[in-house]
Parts: sequence; structure tokens; C-alpha cells
Amino acid sequence: MDGRKESQMRGKRRFVVVLMLAAATAIALVMAASGTAGGRHSATSGPSGVGTGGAMVGSGGGYGETYSAAKGTLTHALFQANLLPANKTATNISLAAYGRSAKTVNYALALKCWKSNGCSTGTGGKLTVAYVEGFGENTYRQMSKMEFILQALTYPQIGKIIYRSAHSDLNQAIADFKSMIAQKVSAIVTYPDFGDAMIPVFQQATKAGIPVSTYAWGYVSGPGTNYTTVVGEDTCKLGQAFANVMNTKVKSGNIAFMGGFPGNPLSAGWQTCEQKALNSSINVVANDPTNWDPSKVQGIVAGILAKTPDLAGLSYEDALFMSQGGYAAYKAANIPYQGVFTYRTDEAGMGCLADQLNDPKLQIYYYSAGNAQIRVALTADMMKLAGAKIPPTIVYPIQLQQQTKRDMCLKGYPATASGTSLIPLSLLHQMYP
Amino acid sequence: MVAASPSSPPPPGRFAGASGRRLIANAIIAARFLPVWLATGALVVFAAIAAPDALGSTSWSFVLPSATVLALAALGQMLVVMHGGIDLSTPGIISFGGNLIAGVGAGSDHKLPVAILAALGVGVLVGLVNGLLVGVLRLNPLIVTLAVGQIVLAWSSKYSRDVVTNQPNVPGGLASWARDRQLGVSNVFWTGLAITLVLALVIRYTVLGRRFQVVGANPRAAWMTGLHVRTHVVLAYTAAGTLYAVAAVLLAGVSISIDPAFGSAYLLAPIAAVVIAGASLAGGLASATSTWLAALALTLLTQMLVTMGLSAAMQYVVFGIAIIAGMVVSGDRVAAVLGRGLQLVTPPPQKAAGGG
Repeated sequence: MDGRKESQMRGKRRFVVVLMLAAATAIALVMAASGTAGGRHSATSGPSGVGTGGAMVGSGGGYGETYSAAKGTLTHALFQANLLPANKTATNISLAAYGRSAKTVNYALALKCWKSNGCSTGTGGKLTVAYVEGFGENTYRQMSKMEFILQALTYPQIGKIIYRSAHSDLNQAIADFKSMIAQKVSAIVTYPDFGDAMIPVFQQATKAGIPVSTYAWGYVSGPGTNYTTVVGEDTCKLGQAFANVMNTKVKSGNIAFMGGFPGNPLSAGWQTCEQKALNSSINVVANDPTNWDPSKVQGIVAGILAKTPDLAGLSYEDALFMSQGGYAAYKAANIPYQGVFTYRTDEAGMGCLADQLNDPKLQIYYYSAGNAQIRVALTADMMKLAGAKIPPTIVYPIQLQQQTKRDMCLKGYPATASGTSLIPLSLLHQMYP
Repeated sequence: MVAASPSSPPPPGRFAGASGRRLIANAIIAARFLPVWLATGALVVFAAIAAPDALGSTSWSFVLPSATVLALAALGQMLVVMHGGIDLSTPGIISFGGNLIAGVGAGSDHKLPVAILAALGVGVLVGLVNGLLVGVLRLNPLIVTLAVGQIVLAWSSKYSRDVVTNQPNVPGGLASWARDRQLGVSNVFWTGLAITLVLALVIRYTVLGRRFQVVGANPRAAWMTGLHVRTHVVLAYTAAGTLYAVAAVLLAGVSISIDPAFGSAYLLAPIAAVVIAGASLAGGLASATSTWLAALALTLLTQMLVTMGLSAAMQYVVFGIAIIAGMVVSGDRVAAVLGRGLQLVTPPPQKAAGGG
């Protein structure tokens, strides 16, 4: 019996020693890894990379704004300085917003505000502005948040900036919105990830006199009545532009569509119009939702390639995901990453991959991710507070860019960042060192 | 009622003695793991008829590596389920492991070994914490592993934002290794298969594995025979964390680059694979090879639905029905029904004279 106890005690001691060794080894490995990773980057600072030079576009002003912006800024964000909304008031709002982006602000404060999800601007201004969204946990949204903060810092009358993400939780999104109304914020900019489910709180804010604007075609029904305005591109024309590329470059063959969450209005908008505008000799062999999840993209593309190994083209929103999961699927299937690809966004990673592959049979056409549109949404809100009449939609014309003529791979940009953002490059490096 | 004497012949039509009970036990064990093999066979036949492209080489080039990653995560989950536990920290460990491969690896093959060790270190550490919280402090595994997983996921998100966003690609050596093929099949598959076989052999034929099974099947009886139950529970969670980390390394190689949602698909799928493979969530026996096969079947089913070109809504409906059907005919239920049926026709074990 004593022998058995002794044996058990020895066993326990051995177990404790093994546990301690395992824990110590694991901690050491993690700490070593963190140390290695922490020291791998050398933050480089340099010119902003955002064009502020050249002639000014626009003139005049009102409601506390100047309706002009540097041609360089517009070219950087919109590809061409003349790609402005058809509506004159919408153009003036855009020029005022893009003009403000050239103003120098306190970048250290902006970074602090970005990291802290809000801040006091220190101006003593009486206004509080909020960026409230249903989901904010990717680079695109985080860059939009910084654009919002930078734009807000150009207004001395804004004394406080608030940011909220609902982490994909509808109830939380509604609660966040109601919280902003209860706090009597002055203006709200939002990306309505839950679509028309947000209408009641939009109406509540509007009734309380709080302007609400959305960006990147975050469309909710009733702009102009349920809320102030929606900023973005015409998604139907985006689909027609995609179809035009397919008709001229693919001419005949099999292509595929991919979209975001099933039934989301953005994907449905361009897909319906592209389908209608395609030549009859082009077959759309698949139309699959990806939930904008890169891991899912890999599986979807693999499925499409299994059925259609001679896929001639593909239309999708997210260029970055096609440079990650999409590219991985082609590599796994041992099929050359070739074809005509049309994308709605312009992340640097896709451009850099195209440059690396350097294959003339890989033809990429893209639009802008539109992070800077959030600036226009905030300026629209501010002009509304100043008494301006804001059009219900601020819509930008579409002009697709060709990768070989306008490289998405911008020097110094993180792979996941959009090159049409107006965040100064030095600040971007501090955000993502 | 008088028990039959040892010299009495067994009643006609009934099994008798130790050999009979062994036969019954073997039949029940076989019935537990047979359905997943039959279901996978049926799935392959159906795919050959309805979506032959899903069985083509292009499809397999995706299905086999993806199924391998899911299988490794499911094997980790299986070790925990065998002890009546559950582990919801899987996505957190896979996410952080993948981010470490990209972050520590920094696109350099020279740093790849350190990156792999870091990923494995996280798996061991988190698994150990889970094991201590569940096995020693006796906290509810459902809640505590979810909580630990959320903490790890938050840590992973921060690390991803601070380090990985700028350079999300995994070292080229890992990506090309994952792409390279032996006998026409990805290295990822062979690696996963080897790990599965080793695990199956250890569980089946070693003292450690046998004790592991005994503790899972009946912890009280195991304790009474002198086995360290808590030690085995801690060991199960630690081994599970390690397997998740291995899955993270392989998935990083397959994915080529790391994204913020990396690993998010591995919360429920591994549990589904374990249950469909015949394990009981109450603990007890499980089969590594059947779990591997269930992971393959789930991945093949997903790929088949995409290849068939079903609408998104229909894909969800069919996948959901398939999971429910898998649960209905899961080996655990079949074994229970068979066990009850055989008990009706089998005499109870005879008591030794004098009792005791």
C-alpha cells in the first residue's frame, strides 16, 4: 500500500515537472516569437504619397466650406479629377470634402484617436461626431475609421470623435446607434452592414435632428427621408462596366461571378446589371456568395475551377481576397492564374501579385475601394448642420482602371491597403508598422 | 429468479460466456464506426452521378488538403470529447497560429522554423491552460474553452493588426511545400495522414493510449484502478491544442496568406466531424481513422454542392440536412440501439458464488 502511494506521489511529481516544463517552453517560444516579430519592421516615413499638387478644381463655397480641391487629390482618390457626381450640389460637397483632406492636422492625435476608438480633439468645439458601423474588424474599415478621424480633425467646431463597431451583431449595432442618439451626438456617419434593419434607428436619429450619412454605397432604403444621404458609386453602372470589359476582352467563353453575403444589395446591384449587359456568347457558369471571407473564397474558386477549368473571366468585389484565397485555389489546382478579372476594390496586394506574376494573360481591371468616400459623408453631415440642402445620393461615375496601365501595387503600401485612400503614407506606416 | 448454474447449457439462440460477450462488444464497436464509412461511400457514389467534377483531380487538389486541416482539428477535438469534454478554443488557436506563421516568418524561409515553433508553442500553452482549468479546477469545458478561445482570438486580432496586415504572406518555403505533391497528392495530405495513423496506433496499441481510453470511458472506474484522471484530462486538452496548432501551420501553407478571418471556420465543423464519426459527446470510445473520414466527407460534400452550382440558400439547406442525417445515423446512436437490442437476447453475466 505504501509502495503504491509512493509510486503515485512520484507520478504526481513527474507530472508537475512535465507541466511546468511544457508551460515554460511554450511561454518562451511565444515570447521569443513576439520579440522577433516586434523587431522586424523598420518604420519608414516619407511623403504622404497623396497628391495635393496641381491646379485647383472648383470654386466658390458656402455653409462653412470651400468648393475646391487639388487636382492631385482628386486624381489620387477618383483616378481622374473630372470623375465627380453629376449633381452640382453633390459635386460641391465632394470638392469641399476632398479639399479638406489636404489640410494638415495633428497626426499624432489622429493616431491616438484611431487606436483609442475616439478622442477629444482639444479644440473645445461643441460638436460631437460619431462613426458607427456593424462590422469594423478588417483593414478596409479601419482605414475608413482613420479617414473619418482625419476629416473630423479639419473642423475646429468638432470637439469629440466617437467610434463604435458592433462586431457583426445586429442587436449591438442597433444599441450602438440608439446610444449615439441618447448622447445627442451632432452627426453620424455609418456603414449599415445590416441594411434596412437599421431603418427604425435611422428614422429615430433623423427625427432627433441628427444627420446620418452612409458611404461606399452602404445603401439603406429611403435616403433623403429616412436619413440624410448615401455616398458611393452607381453599382448598376459598375456591373455594366464589368460587362464591357468581359465583352471586349473575353468575347466568348465561361466566366463566373462571386459576391459577398447572400442577397446583399451591393453584389446584387452589379451582378444583375453585368448579366444583362453581357454578350450572348459569354456564359456565367457560377454566381456564388463568399461572405467576403478569404478562406471561403478559396473553396468557392476551387469549386468553380473543378467545374470550369477553362474559366475565362471572373467578376468580384474584393481584389485582395482574389490575391489570397483565389490565388491559392489556382495554385492548388495547378491551373495558371490567367484570365480577365474585374474587381471593385484596389488593394495593393493584388497589384503586387500581378506585378510578380508578370503574365500578359492575367488581365485585371478594377475600381476604387472608396475609403475616402467617408470624408464626403462627414462633410455632407456638417453642411447639413450648417443648413445646406443635401441631395439624397452622392453618386460617382465609374471608370475602371487597367492594372498594366495604373499599377495597384503602390510602393510602401501594406498589401491589404487600398491605394486610393487619402491617409498620408507616413501615418499609414504608423498605423501598420 | 435463479441464475443459471455454470454447468447449465445456454438457452438456444442465445450467446453465452466470455466469447459471446466479446463478440457482442466487437459488434457494437464495429457498428459505432461503420456508418461514417458507409455514408462516405454513398456520398462518393452520389457525387459520381450528380457532380462528377467534384471527383476530378482539380477538385481533389483542394478537397484533400482542406479535409486534412479539418481532420487534424477534429482529431484534437476527438481527444477532448473522449473525456466527455468539448473545446471551443479551436478558432482562436488556429487564428493565432496562422498569424504567427506570417508575422514571425516575415516572408523569410530562414525564420520559418521559429515561426512554426511559435505556433506550436501557442497551441501547447493554450491547450495546457484549458486542461488545467477543466481538469484541475473542474470548470465547465463549454464555457471555459469558449472564454479562453475569445481571449486568444482577441490577442490574435491585435497581433494581426500590428504585425501581419503589412505583410500577410506566409514564407514561400511553407507555401511551396504545401503545394508540392508526392504520388500526385499534396504534402499536406500525407503529413495529416501520418499524424492520424500515429495517433490511431498510439490510442489502440500503447499503454498510454489504452489508459487514455479507459479514463474517457469510465473515469470513476479508472480512478479506482489507480489511474490519474486529471492528468489524462490535462493531457487531452494539451494534445488537442497542439493538433490545432499543427492544423494552423498546414492551413497557412495551403492559404498562402493570412487574413483576419483565418481559422474562423473551425468552431463547429471539427465537433460535427467527431460526432458523425461515431463518438459520443458524453465521452468514451472514438476512432481517429473514422474521424479523419468524417472530415473528408464534410469537405467533399461542401465542394460537391459548390460544383453542382446550387444557389447559396440551397447549399445551406442541403448541408444542414446532411449534418442532421449524419447525426441521426451516427455510430454512437447505432451502437446504443444495437447494444440495447443485444442485451435483450443476452443473459446477464453470471455472478461468482459467494458474491463480492
